[in-house]
Amino acid sequence: MRKNSLVLLVLSLLLILSGCTEGTAGTSNSDGDGDSSTSTKDSLVIAFEADAGTLIANSDVNYVTDTQIRNIYDPLIDRDGQSGEFVPVLAEEWKNVDELTWHLTLKEGVKFHNGADFDANSVKYSIDYILDDANQSFYKSRWVDVEEVKVVSPFEVEIKTSKPFPSLIQRITEDLLIMEPGYVEEVGTDEAAKKPIGTGAYKFVEWSRDNYLKLEANEDYWKGTPEIKKLEFRYIPEFSSRLSAFLSNEVDMFKNIPVDSVGKIESDDDSKVEKVPSARINYLALNTFYDGPLKDEKVRQALNHAVDVDELIEAVLNGNGTKMTGPLAVINTGYIETKGYEFDPEKAKSLLKEAGYEPESLTLTLDTPNGRYPMDTQVAQAIAAQLQRIGVKVNVQVNEWGAHLEKIRNREMKDMFILGWGPAFDPQSTIENLFTEVAPYSGFYDEDIEAKIYETNALFDEEKRFNGYAELQNALVEKAAWVPLWQQADLYAVRKDLNFKPRVDEKIQAFEMSWN
Amino acid sequence: MIRLSGDPTALFLPPDAPREQIEEYREKLGFNRPIYVQYGDFMVNAVQGDFGQSLRSREDALPLVLDRLPATFQLAISALVLSLLISIPLGVLSAFRRNSIFDRIAVAFTVLGQAVPSFWLGLLLIYFFAAQLNMLPSGGAGSITHLILPMVTLAAYSVARFTRFTRSTMLDVLRKDYIRTAKASGVPTLRLIGRYALKNSLIPIITLVALDLGTLLGGAVITEVVFAWPGIGRLLMQSLMNRDFPIVLAGVFIIALIYAVINFIADVLYAYVNPQIRVK
Repeated sequence: MRKNSLVLLVLSLLLILSGCTEGTAGTSNSDGDGDSSTSTKDSLVIAFEADAGTLIANSDVNYVTDTQIRNIYDPLIDRDGQSGEFVPVLAEEWKNVDELTWHLTLKEGVKFHNGADFDANSVKYSIDYILDDANQSFYKSRWVDVEEVKVVSPFEVEIKTSKPFPSLIQRITEDLLIMEPGYVEEVGTDEAAKKPIGTGAYKFVEWSRDNYLKLEANEDYWKGTPEIKKLEFRYIPEFSSRLSAFLSNEVDMFKNIPVDSVGKIESDDDSKVEKVPSARINYLALNTFYDGPLKDEKVRQALNHAVDVDELIEAVLNGNGTKMTGPLAVINTGYIETKGYEFDPEKAKSLLKEAGYEPESLTLTLDTPNGRYPMDTQVAQAIAAQLQRIGVKVNVQVNEWGAHLEKIRNREMKDMFILGWGPAFDPQSTIENLFTEVAPYSGFYDEDIEAKIYETNALFDEEKRFNGYAELQNALVEKAAWVPLWQQADLYAVRKDLNFKPRVDEKIQAFEMSWN
Repeated sequence: MIRLSGDPTALFLPPDAPREQIEEYREKLGFNRPIYVQYGDFMVNAVQGDFGQSLRSREDALPLVLDRLPATFQLAISALVLSLLISIPLGVLSAFRRNSIFDRIAVAFTVLGQAVPSFWLGLLLIYFFAAQLNMLPSGGAGSITHLILPMVTLAAYSVARFTRFTRSTMLDVLRKDYIRTAKASGVPTLRLIGRYALKNSLIPIITLVALDLGTLLGGAVITEVVFAWPGIGRLLMQSLMNRDFPIVLAGVFIIALIYAVINFIADVLYAYVNPQIRVK
């Protein structure tokens, strides 16, 4: 009998020990990151809500994945962090030879982390990687019009497209990162997805799934040596935990502070909030595919008059948003100032009556996701309250994000829904993907406008193109295609002594940062 | 089954993907086939240990899940050991000193432990020990200090359950004739508890521990999310949100398997503590 209890005791001791060893077997080096020794600090910890899906380039379109691996891989072309304009990176020049051909001149003397040279072959390989069905890249849908990538000389490539593809440069900028063909071929894609090799400012060190990704400075980086030597991305799914980790100095920065927590971070002595109007826009879609009153232009105009966007920004978003009046945000290259609908409840009522509706007899449905956009559900409820003021009843339907998106894609939405779109830098990808018949994301369709969209898309002359999109913006406002809301504010929680300027494209580049 | 809560392709492809592309992906991933064909295919592959590939990262689902297993085990088992170390002495003592002040306090404590949501308790612990006192890391894994807060959070509920259970079975046992006899024949108190009473209340406790370990392994989802613990629960949560069903299915399968194994071990242990149960 005594022996038995002894066995039990030993067993439980073993269990405890097994707990200990696994725990301590992990890394224990850089836990002093949060030390107050500011003068020698050269490491940076950035928290994300989720892990990267994979570390191989050109596969996962997810923001979280792309933002992290952009520190490892370089693009051919980047955006200027403040103006959003294209700037050369691994491509020095690009030009349009004819409607179906693009010519790129590449930078010489750049090396990958494993010592291999960057050249035209790496570009061809990276684009072919997206196009090859075997790799099942989620980017492929955007690149199907690319027919062939030709290596003209070691530092020149020509890209042939099957039809005019004016937004190719934008695709190269937003999607394409350059991989090392020799390495991927040698170790295979599975291995390359776990241990990435690029030309970027940071080299891969260690990736612990759902835990952290550790990188170190690439001392031979062609743009110069990064000031931040150790870079770590840490994954903390729950916001309150993320905030605690930040306030206790374990983490130096994170993106997406809920607007109601901004004050808490601002009041902390070691922290600051950095903010930039992003290229991500939020809008209230008015669904013309649903058989309801919103098919009528007058009703849509009335709703535009009845929603007070300024009040929403002030009261619900605490001022964290930049009002929009038309389909495009100021940051968009095709933006022109459009005359929006001023807030005028009386006019809204009379427009409804003109359309043959008594405001009091009208009941509309408004779908909103929950937690996808800043205060989305609260915004929907506030809009419902505003419409209630002119007598229109609104039923707010709150959906989980995946379900919301599917309802939109399947055209199961009713009168109105809230959605965001971004990054919206160029007019084509925004207007085409929102306002044509096949695109479900705005719920608006008009035959004449669609014809005009396709006509403008095919134009190569810069000025004609700009004018075409300008006309479209005015037409869309006139037909009250939607109720434009705002450009989201990107809110970053940042250590006070970190030099960091938020980029308009939401990317987080440690190379551009340093400690004071 | 795979499509119960929506079409995964919608979440993975970029929003501007044209309709033909979406169809192409659905075809490639087999989502366009009738549900019963998908189900049959899944079953045939699953019994061979093949749960397919993660829709997001294109890696095999089963290894992805198994990778997370050690972390979950570490958390669940250390929480279990901690709660046993606290709850058994606590339960025995409060049963033995029934209706004393100590007993009352212990009962109040256990009711509280069971009532507090682990989500809230976890955040509270993070707030005090990480954000305010800066004593412990708020989350993540890597060293023994990372383990403390999630372990305590997870143990809180089990401690409450085990203590109450130990107390009530002990009370039952203490009423038995043989205890009275032992007491009457002058067996010292410690020996009475350890040798006669506790040992006889072990069987129900083992059952409960087995059941609870299953719950700890599968139900640590919230604790894992709050403390950014890289275990199975968190992987499942995230995969569910992403509609990454192969991972969800593989994860649920593994947890069910562990549950069954633990209960089997518990059955074997019965025989160990009580010779009457042994197969003759």
